[in-house]
Amino acid sequence: MILPGLAYLAVFFVVPFYSLARTSLSSSGGSVFMPELTFAWDFGNYSQAFGLYQDQILRSFGYAFVATILCLLLAFPLAYVIAFKAGRYKNLLLGLVILPFFVTFLIRTLAWKTILADDGWVVDLLGSVGALPSEGRLLSTSWAVIGGLTYNWIIFMILPLYVSLEKIDPRLLEASRDLYSPNRRTFGKVILPLALPGVLAGSMLVFIPSVGDFINADYLGSTQTTMIGNVIQKQFLVVKDYPAAAALSLLLMALILVGVLLYTRALGTEDLV
Amino acid sequence: MANQINQGLISQFAIARTTRRRFLGGSAAAAAALALAACGSNGGSPTASSSAPADDGSPASGTLRVSNWPLYMADGFVAAFQKATGITVDYKEDFNDNEEWFAKNKEPLSRKQDIGADLAVPTTFMASRLHTLGWLNEIRESGWSNKKNLRPDLLEADVDPGRKFSAPYMSGLVGIAYNRAATGRDIKTIDDMWDPKFKGKVSMFTDAQDGLGMLMMSQGGSVTQPTTEAIQKAADLVKEQKDKGQIRKFTGNDYADDLAAGNIVVAQAYSGDVVQLQADNPDLQFVVPESGGTTFVDTMVIPYTTQNQKAAEAWINYIYDRPNYAKLIAHTQYVPVLSDMTDELDKIDPKLGANPLINPPKATLDKVKGWAPLTDEQTQQYNTIYAAVTGG
Repeated sequence: MILPGLAYLAVFFVVPFYSLARTSLSSSGGSVFMPELTFAWDFGNYSQAFGLYQDQILRSFGYAFVATILCLLLAFPLAYVIAFKAGRYKNLLLGLVILPFFVTFLIRTLAWKTILADDGWVVDLLGSVGALPSEGRLLSTSWAVIGGLTYNWIIFMILPLYVSLEKIDPRLLEASRDLYSPNRRTFGKVILPLALPGVLAGSMLVFIPSVGDFINADYLGSTQTTMIGNVIQKQFLVVKDYPAAAALSLLLMALILVGVLLYTRALGTEDLV
Repeated sequence: MANQINQGLISQFAIARTTRRRFLGGSAAAAAALALAACGSNGGSPTASSSAPADDGSPASGTLRVSNWPLYMADGFVAAFQKATGITVDYKEDFNDNEEWFAKNKEPLSRKQDIGADLAVPTTFMASRLHTLGWLNEIRESGWSNKKNLRPDLLEADVDPGRKFSAPYMSGLVGIAYNRAATGRDIKTIDDMWDPKFKGKVSMFTDAQDGLGMLMMSQGGSVTQPTTEAIQKAADLVKEQKDKGQIRKFTGNDYADDLAAGNIVVAQAYSGDVVQLQADNPDLQFVVPESGGTTFVDTMVIPYTTQNQKAAEAWINYIYDRPNYAKLIAHTQYVPVLSDMTDELDKIDPKLGANPLINPPKATLDKVKGWAPLTDEQTQQYNTIYAAVTGG
């Protein structure tokens, strides 16, 4: 039963991972555009990559962190309402949540470019109430990139949260109320602990792709908002320094892994949903 | 993952105006995966140039697979060619970016495997790289009688004297486009781009040659005799302006959308794009900076993996017929690579022949220079220097 899964992992995870790891420790030589990679245990690729691009790495983690928090703050009330208050509209609301994701990622991101344009009504409106960021625009700012990440990945927060909340037995809430627990306390002592697996799963599903994302920074960002995904893309396709690009990719994976382990440890749960 | 962006989708999404070198970061992702897969194997490359098989004198037939830039073709042109020659054309607009195309196709080409195209349209520097790697067939003159129509300056270009491997397709100017209504004044020099009034409203090309060329010229450098110092000096200037927040984006062809939308008011631009954008927005102007700008030439080449050499030559020859070529120019609005085109263009629309961006006056031509052919090491070095500035 488990064989197909193992085979899948071997082909689509182990093999590419091995190739990537090998490349990241190789040194390239020979022809410039058809370089020959020689495996050399060259750990210098890693220190060099980190030294050159630590700003972009830190920025990526910063953006992804803020986007994850925003997703959580926006998704929790929504998932709560759908799970407990929506009644017969539950499926309709869930459908509405999923509906925008029938449109491809790229188009949705480009749509924001139009909405946030310098001459658009959103900028005019915010400008008239003095709420624009210091750059005097919305598009091509950090906020546009973080907003794009939040918007594009929030569904991966809503769905796990909804599943966790939906599993909560309503009788537990009634019991809590019977014991004169105020709403706030019911939330803190009953709902939140039971929803933690959803919070954990959702956070990881949002955070991990956000760190490596380059589309949002590309379309909604500026020269000041480059993320590590953009760097890796450029290293592979323009500079063609494959060892550096592979080292950056693996470094990113390692950093994310450490982050995720610390986070699961902190939340004290091993279950995902 | 965000990285799965379909290339076809991107072509479809290419906004309703012609953009020649639309570089979309997303489309590069698939290529990244391929490039990655390619890393494990060692790419031994042939060094000898290939030559086409001898011409047996039979007429061209069968199917021709053309890989060209998005929207770089006139309506009805392919159909007219098919009717005239009986050759079936499988025309694809899947050439989005030189380096991206190279990253995707270099593995099959190095093993001499079919890349799904019998003719492609790389820019000069890429054609030259492909030739150096021995991956291009010679374009035989037996199938290319209209070669005589080529502009003499292009025929004897240093990169391919006598044009044995690359047939120029379109040429154009790299200069500055600006929105006169938004700038409130004319832009004439590179320094004008750094006016604090345009902070966060300026875009520059990511491509090292197109991006740095005009800056080098304004700093006393030269693109005909480029040096690492001149490249570094120009890149330092870009870095300084980037750090100040003056430069909003590093772009490929996608500056056109931002320029039209008003997000960018001063942009490094390709001449033909601006001519097309002017139709919607008459405030847009194109200027070659006083200190000079650069030119580019895109060329048709036949990969040595072609499956229909003869049809590819027939295609090139058909394009090199002046009345046919005028139809292409009327659509793409770039500078013709054939000589004496004014009469043919005037037949289609007298405004075409008089347009200074299609038929640049001598004063403009005197200010523009083409890049010297670079060695692989130079290209790589310049790309690396500039990539460090454009944000990696």
